[in-house]
Amino acid sequence: MDVLSDLRVVEISRTSAAAFAGRLCADAGAEVLLVEPPEGHALRHEGPFRGDVADPETSAAHLHVNAGKRSVTIDLESEAVAATALVSGADVFLTDLSRDILDPVGLGWEALHERVPSLLMTRITPFGDTGPYANYAGSNLVSLALGGQLKITGDPGRPPLTNFGAQTEYQAALSAFAGTVANLLLRDASSEGEYLDLSIQDVVATNLEQRGTSFNLGIVANRAGLTVSATYGVYPCRDGWVYLTAFAPALWDRLKAVVQLDRLDDERFATQASRLENNDELQAVLTEWTLNKSSDELREFALQGYPLTVAKDEESLLASEQWKSRGYVSDIDHPAVGEVSVLGSPWLAGDPVAVKPAPTLGDANALLEGLG
Amino acid sequence: MDWKSGRLPLAGLRVVDWSLYWAGPYLGMMLHDLGAEVIKVEAPAHCDPMRTVIDVNRYSGDTGKPLTPKERVNISQHFNEWNRGKLGIGVELADPRGRQVFLDLAAESHIVIENHRPGAKDKLGIAYSDVAAIKPDIIYASLSGYGQTLPERNAMALGSPVELPSGLFLRNGYLNDETPAKTGFSYGDPVGALAALSAVLLAVRHWRKSGEGLYLDIAMRDALSFGIGAAFADWSMNGAKRPRSGNRHPVFAPQGVYRTRGDDQWVAISVRNDRDWRALADAISASEWQGLDAGARRTRHDEIDGVIEAWTSKREARAIEKELQAVGVPAGAVLDFAQLKDDPQLAARGAFAAIEHPVFGNEVRATSQWERGESPQPIDRPAPCFGEHNRDALTGMLGMSQEAVDELEQAGVIADEIRVAAD
Repeated sequence: MDVLSDLRVVEISRTSAAAFAGRLCADAGAEVLLVEPPEGHALRHEGPFRGDVADPETSAAHLHVNAGKRSVTIDLESEAVAATALVSGADVFLTDLSRDILDPVGLGWEALHERVPSLLMTRITPFGDTGPYANYAGSNLVSLALGGQLKITGDPGRPPLTNFGAQTEYQAALSAFAGTVANLLLRDASSEGEYLDLSIQDVVATNLEQRGTSFNLGIVANRAGLTVSATYGVYPCRDGWVYLTAFAPALWDRLKAVVQLDRLDDERFATQASRLENNDELQAVLTEWTLNKSSDELREFALQGYPLTVAKDEESLLASEQWKSRGYVSDIDHPAVGEVSVLGSPWLAGDPVAVKPAPTLGDANALLEGLG
Repeated sequence: MDWKSGRLPLAGLRVVDWSLYWAGPYLGMMLHDLGAEVIKVEAPAHCDPMRTVIDVNRYSGDTGKPLTPKERVNISQHFNEWNRGKLGIGVELADPRGRQVFLDLAAESHIVIENHRPGAKDKLGIAYSDVAAIKPDIIYASLSGYGQTLPERNAMALGSPVELPSGLFLRNGYLNDETPAKTGFSYGDPVGALAALSAVLLAVRHWRKSGEGLYLDIAMRDALSFGIGAAFADWSMNGAKRPRSGNRHPVFAPQGVYRTRGDDQWVAISVRNDRDWRALADAISASEWQGLDAGARRTRHDEIDGVIEAWTSKREARAIEKELQAVGVPAGAVLDFAQLKDDPQLAARGAFAAIEHPVFGNEVRATSQWERGESPQPIDRPAPCFGEHNRDALTGMLGMSQEAVDELEQAGVIADEIRVAAD
């Protein structure tokens, strides 16, 4: 979907938040210029690196999140004029920098809007532009904590657990990208710029499943570990993990059809209410069954439509028929890395487009000539 | 965008929302937040299961008042959360007359969204090809676990289990643990919904420029895997199995979730650089540790965690947050949902607002995530009761006569009650 091919996006980012949003813009066809400090974007230093040897060109985080962008190196402290000139010539300015950095060099919304009335600007920050935490320092972990997603993850009796990856920044990037395209729809009609002030905490606190139950019924969710209930949770199998989903009558009947144990016809398991009442007994019966099955056997059942879902790792996914049929993996020949597998943006799988490699540092510095 | 001046990007567009559970309903709700009119379509024999499900989650908890069966399907906190702002109709899609209502509605709309199991729309004759035959420029978005493609299209994956085959589940877990971990909710749903929203908005721009519709095939699994795409790039370069990293960060050190005063109360702290570390070490009076560089802090992370927790465990989480934030260190109390409701920042942003629901009463719901700050977008209407807008939609949008609607109603093709009982 080359829907943004008429746009130039300038991204000045320090975290995955704006960087993921920039990646989505690139996949939608926009020209994305990533403004990096002379030592390179933070994701270049995050790793993991090829061969586990630190190298700003081979950091996996950079290769994924910055794929399809071009790179210019600008020291914002001494060369802000160039950055401001670049942004002024863009359609979209995407950033996650603080106002302390942006405002003094003329990259704040008010100044930019006055100079370039048609510019779209999206700023993704931990807490947004307004409110008592507007100047709080943030991190992915802190956004999880104050956004409500941390407390509910992990095992009862152990500390709350972070999800792998920069998940709050990813959620915010998806939201920010959608909001930016929405603003673009307005600009297409009006030629007027728009500003999106996106708070990561806002997005994280919005994406909560049981918030309504808590806010309106006073039932406060807490950590439930792997298995929420016998009819909705993770079970160990012989060589891996499987999720059983049977909380509704039709699903329960489907599960019984595949498990084929007379013990499940016990009247203690006759209704969802009684299954919850006798949760531990039911879980024991089902665990006995799952432990006797291999992931492959269970996956066959899943493909037949039974309500179970089997775990997969990176290796099996990259080799999977499903992703091949969806064209979801681009095996890129990267100039500094060699061959590397990069996933497409989530909407590209139905409409595959080859993802372009992440830039080497400063590969588009020629664009800076004459910008001061 | 600016709701106050009526500048919402999807104003004037209508969405047929044939959705269930969380991902599809959330997608429809966000399209409404961006200005679209959204009509939730459910069948009396197959309503959105979130109206009736009783799980440990107890979405439809005890409201303390006796309820008729008809009222009971309209109080689910999950349903009402993710369908607010929509109109709702109850129409039997398996009946040819009901199918025609669906197609007629789609012909009067711009976007169709659905997240049923692949195959369901084909069986009922309301797939993209059926709609495009009468409305060629329709944007039709399907959101599913694995996508519409074989071999996996028929495998089951709701938003919670879909973490398992995404790669995320096996990477999640406590530090160096053998056992993986689930996120504490159905994480595939919101991530899938946001990915699908992006696709729909791009399709709207394409439609406005070219007049062409599009079919969109979004998989929640793909959206989850994309969020940890670095792990796939890493595997392709290195083929190495990585230990689980728990609450630690690849660069920031120390970083952790530390016990504080109170039962099950915690604070999250990240040290991004040497400056943060000096400030933290100073705050916790650990001056002998102050000179450690990032490498040394990573090597001695366990010891440092002990020193930090000795300090945090004697204090309140919110007090720690304030003290550390005052010296520029990222820190935040680990909020439960009750604390979240009272969080001063979310309140100042207008993240939540009250709306009156005709059966449940006063409900607090999340507002549009793109219009928070000084003038948050208000919530315009609660979630529809089952079949609440049958007559309005059929007469108003489709121009049917009252008599024709009566006839469908008497035939049971449209209804305002469901035909399945919760077990």
